[in-house]
Amino acid sequence: MASIGRTAGAALALVSGAAHAQSASAPNPASSAQGDVAVTIYNNDLALIEDVRRINLGKGDVAIELPDVSAAIQPETVSLSVPDATIIEQNFDYDLLSPQRLLDKSVGQSVTLVHTNPTTGADSGEPARVLANNDGTLLEVGGRIEILGEMGRSRLVFPGLPPGLKARPTLSVRLDSARSGTRPVTLSYLSREFSWKADYVALFDEAGGKNGATSGDGHIDVQGWITLNNSTGTNFANAHVLLVAGEVANTLGDGNSGPIRRYPRRAPQLENAGTEASGRERLGDFYVYPIAGRTTLANAQQKQVSFLDVKGASARKIYRYRNSWLGNAADLQSAQSVIRFTTGAKDGVGDALPAGMVRVYMRDARGQPQFIGEQAIDHTPMGSTLALPTGDAFDVKVQPTLVKRGKIDMGEWERAGRWRVTTDGKAPKVSTIDTAVTHWQTTMQYRVTNARPAPVVVEVAQTGLDNVWNDTRVPSESQPGEQRSIDERVWQVAVPAQGETVLTVTFDTRN
Amino acid sequence: MAPMALRARLILAGLIVFWARGADAQTIVAASAPLDTSVTIYRAPNDRFGSDPMDVSDPPRWLAGYALISETREIDVPAGPAVIRFTGVAAGMLAESAVVSGLPVGVREKNLDAQLLSPRNLYAGWFGRPVTLRREDPATGILREERAVIRSAPDGAAIVQTDHGFEAMTCGPLSDSIAYPGVPMGLFATPTLSIATDAPAAAHVRVRIAYLAWDYDWRADYVLKLAPDLRHGVLSAWVTLASADVTSFAHTRAAVVAGKPNFTETHARAGNDDDVLIYHCFPRGTARQALVMPPPESPMLMHAAMDEIVVTSMRKAVVAQAENLGDLKLFRLPQPTTVAARGQKQVALFEPRAIALDVLHVAALDELNGSTPAQLLVRTRNRKEDGLGLALPGGKVRIIAERDNHALNVGQGTLTDRAINERVEIGTTTTPQVTVQQAITARTKVARSMAVTVTNANPFAVRFEGTFEQTPPAAIRDPSLPLVLRDGHRVWAARIPAHGRATLHYRLTIN
Repeated sequence: MASIGRTAGAALALVSGAAHAQSASAPNPASSAQGDVAVTIYNNDLALIEDVRRINLGKGDVAIELPDVSAAIQPETVSLSVPDATIIEQNFDYDLLSPQRLLDKSVGQSVTLVHTNPTTGADSGEPARVLANNDGTLLEVGGRIEILGEMGRSRLVFPGLPPGLKARPTLSVRLDSARSGTRPVTLSYLSREFSWKADYVALFDEAGGKNGATSGDGHIDVQGWITLNNSTGTNFANAHVLLVAGEVANTLGDGNSGPIRRYPRRAPQLENAGTEASGRERLGDFYVYPIAGRTTLANAQQKQVSFLDVKGASARKIYRYRNSWLGNAADLQSAQSVIRFTTGAKDGVGDALPAGMVRVYMRDARGQPQFIGEQAIDHTPMGSTLALPTGDAFDVKVQPTLVKRGKIDMGEWERAGRWRVTTDGKAPKVSTIDTAVTHWQTTMQYRVTNARPAPVVVEVAQTGLDNVWNDTRVPSESQPGEQRSIDERVWQVAVPAQGETVLTVTFDTRN
Repeated sequence: MAPMALRARLILAGLIVFWARGADAQTIVAASAPLDTSVTIYRAPNDRFGSDPMDVSDPPRWLAGYALISETREIDVPAGPAVIRFTGVAAGMLAESAVVSGLPVGVREKNLDAQLLSPRNLYAGWFGRPVTLRREDPATGILREERAVIRSAPDGAAIVQTDHGFEAMTCGPLSDSIAYPGVPMGLFATPTLSIATDAPAAAHVRVRIAYLAWDYDWRADYVLKLAPDLRHGVLSAWVTLASADVTSFAHTRAAVVAGKPNFTETHARAGNDDDVLIYHCFPRGTARQALVMPPPESPMLMHAAMDEIVVTSMRKAVVAQAENLGDLKLFRLPQPTTVAARGQKQVALFEPRAIALDVLHVAALDELNGSTPAQLLVRTRNRKEDGLGLALPGGKVRIIAERDNHALNVGQGTLTDRAINERVEIGTTTTPQVTVQQAITARTKVARSMAVTVTNANPFAVRFEGTFEQTPPAAIRDPSLPLVLRDGHRVWAARIPAHGRATLHYRLTIN
C-alpha cells in the first residue's frame, strides 16, 4: 500500500499553522473582509450596500475575490469601481461547498482512500480516482472499480477543494489593472433580507388631560423606535446606516414588480390624512432616518434605534361599533375601544410616522404600565388623525336587533314603460305604464350597554345603506345621526354609567 | 479532550472576548439579576376561552398566549460608550416590544441577539479555524482525536481539513464529532438584550425593562354545582396560568388580563429548526443529525379539567383581585409568586358564590324538521341580586348536579366574557328526556301550517324555550300560544308538566 506521506505532510503543516495562529482567541464572526460599509435600508426587504475595500492589485490581468458580500445579494445589481483599472468580467459564486458538490467537482480527479486499522488505529492511504457521480459514486482503486459506500472501512479524503465551491458568498472579478498598488475598491449592490420598520410605545393616560373632567379626554406619551433586521446571513461591522421610509419599486431578481408590503395599503385607522411637513431629512418623497455614528448589523440580530420621544400629546378614547346591513345579533357584541390622536404639531405627536406597530400601554391600579393592545399603522404624514383600535371593550357592548322589516307603499310611482302604436291613417296612440315604487321598511334597534362606573359615548355605525339603488331614507331615528357617506350613518350614543341606551332607527330602502 | 480542560478553555475564551471588546473602546456591563419582576399573562389572540381540550398524548411544544414581563435591574453605567447586557430575559421575548426606562442618558440603540449558542452557530463561528475532531470507530469503540480546520458553511454539511486532506464528516466508517475550544463572540446561551449607551459620567442606576414574550397562556375554569331544586347553585372559578418558557420568574407579581386586546400573530417565534446542524453526506449516505437534545416537552396546562374536581374540595387561600385596566379586566394574584419555567399555577378567581339560576330546556325551531332532543341551558344574570355582579372572563364551565349526596356530572359548557348585568347562559348537553318535534300539517302556495310538540318524560315539570331566529319578512302568523320577542328573536316559552306535553301551532308565510 502506498504511503500518504507527502500530501498529508503539507496538509498537516497547514493545519498546525492555522492552529498556532488562532488557538489563543475565540473567533469573532464579525471579522470579515469587508471595508468601509454604508447600508441604506428600505422598508420592503431591500438594502443598498456600499462597501469600500482597500485591495492591493497587481498590474495587468488580475483576478480578485471579494468574499463576505451579502448572501442575499442581487448579483445583477453589482457595480464595482476601481481606480486605474477596467473590469473584464465579474462572477458571483455561491456554489455552496457540500459533500455532494465536492464529489461532483472531483469527477476525474485523484482522491485518497484512507483505511484505519481497527487494532492499531494506524491510517494507510490508497490512491483512487473518481470515475462518476450519478446516483452513486464510482471509484477506480488500483485498477478495480468500486462503489462508494460499499468499501467497508475506508473513507474518502480529497487533496484540495475545487475552485468555485465556496463556503461563503464571494464575488470574483477579473480586472485589467493599469498599475500595481493598493487602491480603494468600491463595491455596491442591492441585497434582500434587510428590512426595517417602526415600533411605537404609546403610554395612554385616560384621565390625564389638562381639563380632565370629560370622560375620554386624556393624553399619550409616544416613543418611536426603528427596528431593523438583518437576515442576510452576513455581518456588516461598523457600518453607516441610513433608513428610508418608503417602499421603492424593485423589479429585479424575482420579477415581482410590486413592493413587498408588511402592512395593508389602506390603513383603516387613518381618519384624516395630514398635510403638514416634518422637519426631518428627506430623499425625494421619502423621509430618511440616518443612524448617528457607526453601528454593527450582525446577522440574525434585531436592532432598535430611538427616533421619537413625545410626551403629553392629547388623545381621546372612543368606542366604536359597526353593524353590517341587516346585522342581527343574539348576544351583546363588544364595541371596539379606540384611541384617537393626531400627528400634527398642535397638541399632537408632531411628526410623520413611518409604518410600524403601535403598542399601547396603560397604568394599572398600582401605577405599573400594562399592555392593552397593538395596532399596525401605515406611513402616516404629519398632521393626520389616527384612530387606533386597541381591542374589544369588556364592559361596553352593543346588540343590534332587526325589529321589523316589510314592504311598504310610499305612494310613489315611477315610469316603467312607454310606447306608441301607429295605425295607418290614424294619429299615433301613446301609452305609458307607471308602477308603484316598492320600498322596504326596516326598523333596527341598537341596545348599547355600559358596565363601567362612568358614562361613555359609543359611536354606532350602520353600514350597507347604499344598496346599489342610492335611494335609502331614514324616516325616523330616536336621536339625530350623521350621514358619513352614502353607505354609512353614524350615531353618537351616550350611555350612563352601568346603564343602557336604546337607539331605534327606521330605514326605507329599495331592496 | 477531558471535560475539565474544555471548561477551562471556555473560561479563557470568555476573558478574551471581554478584552477584545474593550479594545473597541466599548465597555461591556452586565446588568444585575432582576431585583423585582412582574408577569402579566394574556390569552392566545384567536382563542376566546383559553383553549380547546388538549390531546394529552401530544401536548403542544408551546403556548399561543403571551405575557408582558417587567423587571427592575441595577446597572453601573460607565462614562463614554458602553454596552449593557441583560441576560436571563424570557426566551420568547419580542425584542421590538422592549422598553427601557430610567436610564440617565438616552439609549443609543438596543439589540436582541438571536444568534443563540447552537450546534449550527457554533460550527459557523469556528469557520476557517482549528477544532478537535473526535473520531470513534463504532466497531472497536476506539476513540482518537485529530486536529482539523472547518472549511464549509453549516448549510451544506461539515467539510473539514485534516492532516490527510479534505473530508466530509461522518461519511466514512468513523463516527465523528467536533470539540470546539470555545464559544465564538456574539453567541449567547439565551436571548440577550443589549443596550448601547453613551453617558457623560458614570452612574449607578436602577432601570426598568418591560417587554412582551410568547409562550404563556391562561384560562378560566368554572365549576357550577346545581342544587336539587334547580333554582340555585354554587359557582366557583379558577384561573390557571401557564408558562412554556425556559425562564422562571421567582417571587414575581403575577396577573392575568381578560378581554380582547388587539395582538397580531405575525411575530416570528424564536427557536426553530435553523439551530440544528445536519451532517449531509455523499449521495447514498444517510443524513445524520448532530447531537442535539430535543427540547423538553412542555407540560401542558390544558388537561386541568380532570384535576379540577380534586381541587374543588380544597379550601382556597388565594383569590385573585380584579381591577379595570382601560377596557380590559386585570386579575392580580395577591401575593408574589413564582411563574415557573414550563409550569402552571392555579388560583381561585373568586370565592365560591351561591347564585340564583334557571335551568331550562331549549331548542332552535327554524330549521327543525322531525325531532330533536332539547338542550339543557343554565341561565342567570351577572348581577348582585343573583349572587354575581362581577366581570366574568370566558372559560369552560363544568356543571355538576347534586343528587342524594352524589355529584353527577351534567355536562360542560362555555361562557364568553360577561360584563356586569349581562345575561349569562351556559348551554350544555342535550337530553332525550325532553324531545321537540316539528311537522308541517298543511301547505298552501304562500304559507305552511306548522306544529311543534314538546314532550317531557321527566317525573318533574320543566321549562322549555323554543327560539325562532328567523328575521322578518319570513313571518310567523297566528301562533296558538303567545310568543315573546327577545333580542330580536321570537321565543315560545312554556312550562311542560311532568310526563306531559305541549303543542304550538302557527303559520309560516313566505313573502
